[in-house]
Amino acid sequence: MASNISTDLIRGHTDTIILNVLQQGDSYGYQIYKTIIALSGNQYELKEATLYTAFRRLEKEGYIASYWGDETQGGRRKYYRITETGVERYRKNKQDWHFAKNVLNQLIEGGIQNEENKPGS
Amino acid sequence: MKRINQDLNQKVRSYVDNLFAGIGESQQLYELKEELSINLKEKIIDYKKAGMNEEEAFKEAVSSLGDLSGLIEDMRQIGQDQTRKSVYSSMTARVSTAGLITGTLVGLFGLLTMAMLYFMGLPLEAVTGPAIFIVVGGAIVAYSLLTRETNKKYAMTKVRAMLYGLSVGLILFSLFTAFTSGFATGEIFIGISSFMVFFLAGFGLLLGLLFTGTDRKKER
Repeated sequence: MASNISTDLIRGHTDTIILNVLQQGDSYGYQIYKTIIALSGNQYELKEATLYTAFRRLEKEGYIASYWGDETQGGRRKYYRITETGVERYRKNKQDWHFAKNVLNQLIEGGIQNEENKPGS
Repeated sequence: MKRINQDLNQKVRSYVDNLFAGIGESQQLYELKEELSINLKEKIIDYKKAGMNEEEAFKEAVSSLGDLSGLIEDMRQIGQDQTRKSVYSSMTARVSTAGLITGTLVGLFGLLTMAMLYFMGLPLEAVTGPAIFIVVGGAIVAYSLLTRETNKKYAMTKVRAMLYGLSVGLILFSLFTAFTSGFATGEIFIGISSFMVFFLAGFGLLLGLLFTGTDRKKER
């Protein structure tokens, strides 16, 4: 797994990433962890510690809800599902992301073409 | 296979317990530990499937968890709040309060009715009849007291508290039958013989409960 990928940049979107996983179906901690690795094409690992912290935060804010599975063999899984407000939040975050992505791309890679803006002219 | 699983369960459980050692108990901590344990276990099983031995798999799974200090601090905070906050607001506490009141009232009703019958000049075996309410009331009060969470102690589990209530009820019932049958027949030996049956059952149950009890004291 590439570790040189800028994890800070991604970590800022932890909540949206989790919401994206959950809007495609209920899931539990370890499965979400694996799904994120798979979604990234094995390039990014969201640590479990970060995941659990995010679950707690998202649940407190009402974007996700949890329930216990009924497995008995060696303990129960805690499943998460996205709420209505969570879906709403996800859409909003996705919009914000599209906007930021375009602007950032222009800001970071864009060349200056307008002559008037050059200093000294 | 079962044996290995059992060992792994134990290992993961004690690792997780250790992570949060010394932190005040709370429902949230309990659930987080439960959640962490099962996810950790599934990760270890996956690593083993990938060819690691159990020792390697455990180490790898644990070290890849990431920085848990934020979560631990979170739980510590909740644990402290939990002990500071009043504990009487929970649902079980309310049920327990209702039980205490009901039990006391039922008992008092029995007692007062008995007093009334006594002063009406009724024969003694009739006077002891309403004592059955004291029996029921006593059992309810015992159950309610034990399921109550206080600042110093956790509430007892419902099944256990029910058994305690039953044993108290049996002992009270033994007294009830003793007096009723004693007065009714005028023979003390009949009183004792009917007393014996229920008393021994109740007392035996009580002893069994006392000797198998766990400490419900809260850590401070």
